[in-house]
Amino acid sequence: MEKIIPFIKYRFIAYAVTITLIVIFSLQTYRNGGFNWGIDFVGGIKLTVKFDQGVDTAQIRKVLTQNKISAVIQQVGKEEDNEYLISTKLASRTENVEESTKELKAVIQNNFKNIEILSIETVGPAIGDFLKKSAGKLIALSIIIMTLYLAFRFELKYSIGAIVALVHDVVLSVLFCGFAGIEINIPIVAAILTIYGYSVNDTIIIFDRVRENLQIKTKQTFIDVIDKSITQTISRTLLTALTTLFAVFALYMIGGEGLNEFASVLLFGIVIGTYSSLYIASPFVLYWEKLTLKKA
Amino acid sequence: MTRGLLYKAIFIICIVCFATMLILPTIGENTLQIVLSQTSTEQDLQTIKQRFPESKYKIVIKDKEVLVEGYNLNVAVMNEIKRYSGVVDAKLLPHWSEKALLAKKINLGLDLQGGSYLVLQANYHKIEEKTGKPLTNAEKNEITEQALELLRNRVDKFGVAEPSIRPKGNDAIEIQLPGVKDPESVKKAIGTTGRVEYRLVDDAYTQKANQWLKEHFAGKPLPEDQLELNKLTDTIKNAIALPDSLELLYYYERNPQTAKLFPAYPIVLEKKVALAGNDISKAWVAPDEYQQLAVHFNTTPEGAAKFAEVTGEKNHGKKLAIVIDDKVRSAPSIRVQINTGQAIIQGDFTYEEVTALARIIKEGALPVDLKIIEERTVGPTLGIDSIQSGVKAFIVGIAGIMLFMLIYYKFAGLIADIGLLLNGIFMLALLSWLGFTLTLPGIAGFILTMGMAVDANVIIYERIKEELRTGKTPRAAVAQGFERAFWAIFDSNITTLLSAFVLSQFGTGPIKGFAVTLSIGIISSMFVALYITKFIFEIITSRGSLKKLSI
Repeated sequence: MEKIIPFIKYRFIAYAVTITLIVIFSLQTYRNGGFNWGIDFVGGIKLTVKFDQGVDTAQIRKVLTQNKISAVIQQVGKEEDNEYLISTKLASRTENVEESTKELKAVIQNNFKNIEILSIETVGPAIGDFLKKSAGKLIALSIIIMTLYLAFRFELKYSIGAIVALVHDVVLSVLFCGFAGIEINIPIVAAILTIYGYSVNDTIIIFDRVRENLQIKTKQTFIDVIDKSITQTISRTLLTALTTLFAVFALYMIGGEGLNEFASVLLFGIVIGTYSSLYIASPFVLYWEKLTLKKA
Repeated sequence: MTRGLLYKAIFIICIVCFATMLILPTIGENTLQIVLSQTSTEQDLQTIKQRFPESKYKIVIKDKEVLVEGYNLNVAVMNEIKRYSGVVDAKLLPHWSEKALLAKKINLGLDLQGGSYLVLQANYHKIEEKTGKPLTNAEKNEITEQALELLRNRVDKFGVAEPSIRPKGNDAIEIQLPGVKDPESVKKAIGTTGRVEYRLVDDAYTQKANQWLKEHFAGKPLPEDQLELNKLTDTIKNAIALPDSLELLYYYERNPQTAKLFPAYPIVLEKKVALAGNDISKAWVAPDEYQQLAVHFNTTPEGAAKFAEVTGEKNHGKKLAIVIDDKVRSAPSIRVQINTGQAIIQGDFTYEEVTALARIIKEGALPVDLKIIEERTVGPTLGIDSIQSGVKAFIVGIAGIMLFMLIYYKFAGLIADIGLLLNGIFMLALLSWLGFTLTLPGIAGFILTMGMAVDANVIIYERIKEELRTGKTPRAAVAQGFERAFWAIFDSNITTLLSAFVLSQFGTGPIKGFAVTLSIGIISSMFVALYITKFIFEIITSRGSLKKLSI
């Protein structure tokens, strides 16, 4: 018989790791002054600037990044006009429009010759309150539907395990953005949703094996069955994480500045998703079982 | 090969061919039609010829029309050519599969391709005039926010995926639409306020107004310019001493030659609105009793009460005007009381008008009039540099996955790689069919599903290996492996699909884009892993002599 790795035995180490991560990430997020919401969420300022011939978006972005300003740069109108829209969220958290504008203007004027600032405007968020609310509702709804489906296909306790792991992954990924000071814009939201999809997938493969192994009538305890199931599927879990990481890692290494943060969130999420399906999902199934057995 | 396997083979080949044909408009050869002006010179033609070298493109020249056939002809090239001297127009001819199979080109989103940029200015004056007091900034913001949501819906209903809509300054809205094609119909939809009202006509004053017009304006057509028309309205109002409870508007008719609307005669209405657009709960387009297209509607319960009151006995013989955005478009006489809350809007409407009207009634009118004050094209938000490196990264990533599968699973890995390629084709085909707009979040969904696609293979292969270890023959191990892996793959994918489906209900924007690619990817990867690769294994193991499986 093959060797069974006692995953459940190490669960307390896993909890310690998770709690430590949450504490460190939260503290650092707090020290960074909270989450770094991007222009898509909080709005900002938008400048229309006419540049000299030969300037392109890559050059402008480079200069702005060097000065720690993250901005969306779009060429506007006819190509030969050399006009660009530069949108950036407010520079400081004080949300002072004039100061931010002054700062942005200074950076552009110091680094480019012959520029002409055509207009300065404030813009609101692309994701308004209404969208935020409906997104929240839909995510809640999708979690409920997932729970119901899993309760129907497996048992309620497995739903709980899968959802706990899911919430674990999403919360940690969001905190990771705060920890690393990543500006949360629409692409980052997509990255977090990707993690959301990946996490459940990974967990269910293990639960499917638990379900199958439980049908084999032996004297083994529930803990043994879980350990055995995780061990049997471990090669698959790691292989899948590895192949997905290939794609994301390539994006991280050669994706360039625009995709770097996006890829790093994904990278973190996949690692944490794999970890949680091994160490977080199953122990919670166990707890739920204990809890309900006591009551009964 | 047994008969069953043969049928499967034919089925799979058909599906692959069909999918490939669907992607052709996006990646295949296209035709660009260039129309030259009558005064264009030989030099202009030479420039075009140089742009499309004959080694790569086929060029047909007919008088002042040039047809270029070849790969990589897209909207960007089309717009480049439009700016050449001597060129009147350039357009991409629809690909044959677009006509035959309803395939569409995959559109790239604002982040990857850019698009058109519109700024809409809100006109608060009208509201301030009506209420008689200036609006505070907070009120303005609230109105803008409401208008924003309605615009989002309208743009979405026009099939423009993934627009970016945000408030700008205090009284404007900025819209970016992906793709550079001229968004005429969308512009029309967002520029229409869509306020529908039923109001009673005051016959006495209408007569007075027309009488005055006859005496002072005899025979001349009414001015079509809005400003001049407003001036005229003021003059008439003063001349006939219109009371404050009434309002003078114009009845609009359609010019039979130009099909354009023009003000035909003045008509005086009560200011009180008998029934407004928000009293209507459901609206749809259907022919009326004269086989003319009309908008049919059901009112809300309160609307039904209001409608019954206005069509009551006391008003019989009076006219009830249908006012759309301050233009009177029809004014039938009231003959019977309508208690059911069901009615129709009849008039001289075109098909486009009735469908747009029904749609706008359903979604509600804009709380404020909006005017397009700026329109330009914009470049991609991500930058060409990021896009190129992103594409490179994507290819390297997929190549890495394929290489890994090949090394780790040997021959079986090759089958998984074929599956992965087929999966890519199927996904692109489905995205083309839906005319999907691909954005960065969409690509994230794509990468995730590519990862999940091999995942299904990994699950199956690991299972087969386990079965082989227990000493089963390759044939039995393959059969068992697929059977046992089935439910694991099914359950995990269905769970993800369910949540993706819920997220796709999210009106518009990145979340929807992500959810759609993810759903499509899940469906196609399940099909590939559980049907096509299974089929390949069935063929291999159907030769009973197979002793060892390369896995």
